[in-house]
Amino acid sequence: MRIASRGLPPLVAGLAIAYPFLVPNYYLVYAGALTVMYAAMATSWNLLGGFTGYVSLGHSAFFGLGAYGTGLLVTRMDVPWVVALLVSALLVTVFAVGVGIAAVRVRGASFVIVSIALVSMMNLIVQGWRSLTGGSTGLQVPSPFPDLHRGETHMVFFYLFLALLALALASWWYVSRSRFGAGLRAIREDEDKAESLGVPTGAYKVTAFALSALFVALAGGLYALWFGSLDPIFVFSILIASSMVLMSLLGGVRHLFGPLLGALIVAPAGEYFLIALGETQIHLTATGLVLVLVVLFMPDGILARFSRRRAGPSIPDETAEQRLQGVAP
Amino acid sequence: MTSLRTEGLSKSFGGVLAVDGATVELREGKINGLIGPNGSGKTTFFNLITGMIRPDAGRVLYRDRDITRHSPHRIAHAGIGRTFQLCRVFPRMTVLENMLVAVRRTRLRELLAGLRDKGEVERARHWLRRMGIEHLEDAEARDLSYGQQKLLELAAVLMAEPELVLLDEPAGGVNPALIDRIVSLVRDLNAEGRTFLVVEHNMDMVMGMCDHVIVFDRGAPIAEGPPSAVRDDPKVLEAYLGV
Repeated sequence: MRIASRGLPPLVAGLAIAYPFLVPNYYLVYAGALTVMYAAMATSWNLLGGFTGYVSLGHSAFFGLGAYGTGLLVTRMDVPWVVALLVSALLVTVFAVGVGIAAVRVRGASFVIVSIALVSMMNLIVQGWRSLTGGSTGLQVPSPFPDLHRGETHMVFFYLFLALLALALASWWYVSRSRFGAGLRAIREDEDKAESLGVPTGAYKVTAFALSALFVALAGGLYALWFGSLDPIFVFSILIASSMVLMSLLGGVRHLFGPLLGALIVAPAGEYFLIALGETQIHLTATGLVLVLVVLFMPDGILARFSRRRAGPSIPDETAEQRLQGVAP
Repeated sequence: MTSLRTEGLSKSFGGVLAVDGATVELREGKINGLIGPNGSGKTTFFNLITGMIRPDAGRVLYRDRDITRHSPHRIAHAGIGRTFQLCRVFPRMTVLENMLVAVRRTRLRELLAGLRDKGEVERARHWLRRMGIEHLEDAEARDLSYGQQKLLELAAVLMAEPELVLLDEPAGGVNPALIDRIVSLVRDLNAEGRTFLVVEHNMDMVMGMCDHVIVFDRGAPIAEGPPSAVRDDPKVLEAYLGV
């Protein structure tokens, strides 16, 4: 069993790398790129949500800012796309530090509301600042690969998003096994208690918030370069962050591969609903319904069902007493 | 020598004055008891010392350093550890992980280092052994009995190497055998140089264990001294019995 579970990630990675060559048409490459993009974003979201338990619906703001930042640097300042992508993501990260310092002062539902307010503000600012952003008509971003046809572009961006996903997964794994990660998990379990044990919870939360924003901003920047057309109502939509939350919850927020598994289910399902039901609000209702069902019936996600519990349901007091009195249990 | 001193510490919640100008001095290397009727402000006093809540007025000095408005983690780094009235552990983390959360230093390199640093794990096992729960290190904390969780909570506090340990009702909800064990542990830890402040309703425990007892009523100390002197103090009897 263990050998099987250890062999699974390399097998999935191999399949992912081969995917564009295994599918029969470029539409499926496009759908794959979209799925990997969401997987990368959900894994990034999970750097905050999974470790600390802070549910942010404001990550769409970082996606949108990353997209607009990259788009504006490319179109207005003729910056090479790679530089634009990195500079934009770094600027968004710095912005996220500032937002984080203010936002993580509140917990629970209050934090969710603050995060929603952030998206709404960014949406209004970008729509209102017409001279810079193009307002509600959006921003056109030239393709960084003008010599490639659309299908080949999908393939290139599939691999770029795959690299971002690998980076996000590696970061999550690295944090999870560090003392910093233990501190973040302690915040999720009992923030006051963690603070009393010397964990600087404020600094930890802001760091997780900014790190999470960094990867989401990179995803936003790649999205801008890939799609070439930015609509502020879409990129600053709460729906994007809701998808990250849904994917993470469905797969399991406490697991490295939880958000990835969630994305592999939700993103193709969303694409299917879109084709089957058309560009109506019905596919959004379906997404909302899945979110409600997951929260109600599977709050720990799919992977929690398969993870091994380390101990039985309870350890009786007698064992401790016997040990305390020197009696073998 | 004074370990911790509060000067005119006050805190009110709405119209309720929970702590009313409390001036208290804790002696270094002693087991200090803090007793008083329900609602006398003992736990609020604890929370004020450890930075969990900010005082309206007054100062907290630890080893002559003003820590009044420091955040709880800075106070922990300064050398003050605490347990909670209702036992608090990290339920979905293992016993060993609960121990390794305690942070003594915040250098970036150490924070990014692997959690299972050999030296830290050994230190954690040492404290778990002293508590008698080393065999549970891989169990999730939520699977432990309440008594075991109490021991884990104390072990995790000690992992941060505090010089002053504040225990909020350590005997609350645990069986007599475990109370004896906790008393014995506190005495041993005190003999090793740690100062204690213990809030407790179990009078036998307080009177038998503490070197110095402070009695709170209506948010301020009304008496203090050796247990034998405090026991017969008319103000204490009045506060407890209303006579």
